[in-house]
Amino acid sequence: MSTQNGSIVVLENVVKLYRQGSVEVHALRGLDLHVRKGEFTAISGPSGSGKTTMLNLVGALDRPTSGRVVVDGHDLSRMGRSALSRLRRDRIGFVFQAYNLVPVLTALENAEIVLALQGISASRRRERVLALLAEVGLEGMENRRPDQLSGGQQQRVAIARAIAADPAVVLADEPTANVDSETADRLLDLMERLNADKGVTFIFSTHDPKVMGRARRVVRLVDGRVAGDESRGP
Amino acid sequence: MAGTRLSSMAWRNLWRNRRRTLVTLSSIAFGVMLAVLMTGLGDRSWTDVIDLAARMGTGHVTIQHPGYLDTPSLKRTIADASALEEIALATGEVTRAVGRISGQTMLAAADKSYGAAFIAVDPAAEDAGTLSVVDAFREGRMFASSRESGIILGSKLAENLGVRMGRKVVYTMTDKQGEIVSGLARVSGIIHTGAPSLDAGLCLLPIDTVREALGYREDEATEVALFVRDHRRSEALATRLDGLVGDGADALTWRETQPELAGFISMKIGGTIVFEIVIAILVAAGIFNTMFMSVMERLREFGVLMAIGFGPRRLFGLVMWESLWMALVGIAVSAVVTAGPYWVLHARGLDFSAMVGKGGSEVAGVVIDPILHVAIFPENVVVIGLAVILATLLSGLYPAWRAGRVVPVEAIKLV
Repeated sequence: MSTQNGSIVVLENVVKLYRQGSVEVHALRGLDLHVRKGEFTAISGPSGSGKTTMLNLVGALDRPTSGRVVVDGHDLSRMGRSALSRLRRDRIGFVFQAYNLVPVLTALENAEIVLALQGISASRRRERVLALLAEVGLEGMENRRPDQLSGGQQQRVAIARAIAADPAVVLADEPTANVDSETADRLLDLMERLNADKGVTFIFSTHDPKVMGRARRVVRLVDGRVAGDESRGP
Repeated sequence: MAGTRLSSMAWRNLWRNRRRTLVTLSSIAFGVMLAVLMTGLGDRSWTDVIDLAARMGTGHVTIQHPGYLDTPSLKRTIADASALEEIALATGEVTRAVGRISGQTMLAAADKSYGAAFIAVDPAAEDAGTLSVVDAFREGRMFASSRESGIILGSKLAENLGVRMGRKVVYTMTDKQGEIVSGLARVSGIIHTGAPSLDAGLCLLPIDTVREALGYREDEATEVALFVRDHRRSEALATRLDGLVGDGADALTWRETQPELAGFISMKIGGTIVFEIVIAILVAAGIFNTMFMSVMERLREFGVLMAIGFGPRRLFGLVMWESLWMALVGIAVSAVVTAGPYWVLHARGLDFSAMVGKGGSEVAGVVIDPILHVAIFPENVVVIGLAVILATLLSGLYPAWRAGRVVPVEAIKLV
């Protein structure tokens, strides 16, 4: 898919206005941001700075009040519900803070669910997902359900699910917030490795200085605008 | 995601809250058990009543003169009863066919007279399978021949006339020409059915003796009573026969010849259906509650599924699959739960003799046995099964629609 100036994610003068009763809340006030393919980017900022809103918009889960959001060459404002649903399925991976695995499915089934939605055959799904689960360190745990896995293991399944369909970008919501420090380190190692080896583009929202320390680019949001954008060498 | 996969996910979701699912399945099973037992009670009871009513004179289907039903008269006859019997038997649906003469007569004994209905029968053609009163002899026996001069009286009628076995009774009726004719008969039998209207108002006469008295030809009769294995075939048979018997006769169902009984049964069946609909609504409300709670508890999960690519239709389908599984498991559980009570009520029955007496109760001249048995028609089992599936799917519609309407950004908090 063609991208704008090599960017996989583009936000141009994005405004998002929420209405809470009679009060208008400006979540984003003309946000501009470009994320290139293969970046390992952390979005930081205090509560209410617009991190959630920004990731919702990039994840095609919400629409801006004004401005433009382009993901993998698709202008989201011009797409209908079904097309957005397909875009999320095919081009965007999600990793949630609370893992959000489907509790009745095994690790294997959770990881392959997006591939199943894409209509990939069972044998191809199984082959790909078994390899992925081995890559994230869950070999031998394929048939365990989420309640039989630790928090860190569940998040690994979530990462496998997010990258199984080779998305253009993976959006991660505080991916280390619910795990201990050691597990957080291992998860960051894993995502770094996937970024380096497979070129997966990661955008995290985080409060965690450790995550920010591992990111190669840290975008700081304050009051719905970019207040800082720091890139580091690989 | 293929349908089978969605169904597998739905199956597992069904058991996420095992206790709630079991409670819902119990309510389905209870509702189905009530519906099956009530319907089975009606199917068996009304079949017994209709078959008994048919054996009390008219048959399941009656061939008679086109004007006889509106104005019963001994003038309105069918000329060739035997030929009509053969036509009916040739359809393959009729098990028995008997020609009869029935009408009203005035009976007189030494110093009393009473009006009564009479049925003139051929004793060689009749037995308990065509005429139930044959089983109800208190004294005496069925006629030895169709030409003898005997008369069989209902027990109360004999008592009213003050006659016993062997005593003389004069019967008077109006013949085809409108002339009053009489015959002398000796009481050759007394029957007691337990139905007051029959015991006090029915007598039997030999058919050829009556033919002679009325001036009928050899094969002339007022009706041919037809019997079928399954009374539900009566309508179809009557319609078919109407085209075969010609203009000189009509084929009528028991519903037409016994409208009081038909009305009573329809009213009772209607009451049962209303009761069953109320049960269905209550059960459906329980299923709806379960499905709706199950959906509302999983809004976040649905939001996540939407986020990773599930569309609204797929989520709708997932919840509808859950409803379908609920229905199918509900039917299976219902079958297990219902089998025991059904077997007991089928084999032993429900004894109401303490309430209605050992003789039973009379409805439109038909005595209903005080021991009610259960035997449901197979097609009604199918109807109840389909009703469970339909009610469960309808109960799942709104929750499924609600699941499909989840807005992911509201259902999940991404950051």
